[in-house]
Amino acid sequence: MSRKGVGLAAFDRSRLTSASYANHGTALRTTNAQALETQLSVFRSLLQQFSQQHGKEIRSNPSFRAQFARMCTAIGVDFLAASASHEGGGGKGGDSSIWGQLLGRTVNDFYFELAVKVVEVCSKTRGENGGLIDVRKVRELLQLRQENQMGTGQKEGGGLTEDDVLRAVGTLKPLGSAYSIVKVGSKPYIRSVPKELNTDQSAVLEAAQVLGYVSVSMLMVNLKWARARAKTAVEDLVGEGMLWVDKQAGGEWDYWNPGFMMEGQEGVGFGG
Amino acid sequence: MATSEGFQFPKEHSFPPFYTPQINLSTRHAQLTKWSSLILSYCRHHSIYRLSLSDATNSPSSPAYPLFNNEAINRRLSPSYVKEIVNFMKKDGRAEWYGSDKNEGGGGDVVWIYWRTPEEWAGVVEGWVEETGNKGQVMTVYELTEGETTRGSEFWGLDQELLIKAIQVLAKKGRAQTMGGEENLGVKFF
Repeated sequence: MSRKGVGLAAFDRSRLTSASYANHGTALRTTNAQALETQLSVFRSLLQQFSQQHGKEIRSNPSFRAQFARMCTAIGVDFLAASASHEGGGGKGGDSSIWGQLLGRTVNDFYFELAVKVVEVCSKTRGENGGLIDVRKVRELLQLRQENQMGTGQKEGGGLTEDDVLRAVGTLKPLGSAYSIVKVGSKPYIRSVPKELNTDQSAVLEAAQVLGYVSVSMLMVNLKWARARAKTAVEDLVGEGMLWVDKQAGGEWDYWNPGFMMEGQEGVGFGG
Repeated sequence: MATSEGFQFPKEHSFPPFYTPQINLSTRHAQLTKWSSLILSYCRHHSIYRLSLSDATNSPSSPAYPLFNNEAINRRLSPSYVKEIVNFMKKDGRAEWYGSDKNEGGGGDVVWIYWRTPEEWAGVVEGWVEETGNKGQVMTVYELTEGETTRGSEFWGLDQELLIKAIQVLAKKGRAQTMGGEENLGVKFF
């Protein structure tokens, strides 16, 4: 038990104590802040140096780019979100564009340019696939395009990975666009029309993704669905332009995944 | 695919639903676009200028038979859908019913496939005339399509009727004048 001061001096004493606590606190905080600032500026300049030194490699070497992206994620730097919100938000302070500045614009420019190409592919193929396209396919198409361009003199640019495509789609999010990644089965797809798939439709797409096509009776047998349920799901997807009808299969109609049109020759040969 | 003679069919040609007119309108449009460009590149590759649709869909001896029939996957295009595709191409000026410009009704069986339109052929001919210094010369249509002087030009072996269409385009622009009869049509270039 402490003895409480009773006189007027006790007020002074307590005021003094709290003042000195406050002083000490401020001092501690400043040193802390200074230390942090130094650390941050060191880190900043290092990161900047790194991205400047390796900017070319980040652009051209897909595995290096993936490593760099992974490193940024590991240390909590989401360079894409940071720079994208800067573009969209409009002057939310230096805080929002900091990574964009740090990384010398190389990395995010890479992904923004890629995003533009992804959008082109999606809108060009929307008629045939209803706005749902396999990420792998997008990557293949873009890679092909890049190789064709390289034929006409451009030497820069190595490969593209699916990871790059996924990140590029991520950069579109702040624009309030309809572009998003959906999983069909285990595979990521880019959806470029704002449409929710119900679970039945996803199941049908998943089956069509594996087999190339489905029919109502196949769905009835494999998923133990009633005819009406299978028919509804399939017809909905045809209505969305996500499946193509084949009426020449000999009996029942087959419903094909349009992705198989772009696939290698192993996609065909059955049916009929 | 022995008859395809070096033509590389695109993947959709082996895609079974490609041969069924699609129900969904936007899918249908994508399908028509793909067929249109496939027909054009096939005809360009084989130097086909006009097609008989009934032959192309039914008779294996037609050079376009492998285009509309994929025996490997047992799929074929129906004549009525081919007709729809042709009408789709017509809107882009890439096809024309044979005889439709001569008050013969058109809409029959034979169709021009314009991987080069008469206007585009006119440009090719005009370019050749200028390059080879044949301005002011009179040449027959036969000479132009089969003769020795034009061998190696792009229009050598061109369907004569199509060449005449091209020449009429030039005549309208005042760059050529036709003379002589149907049998032995001559052209003077300006």
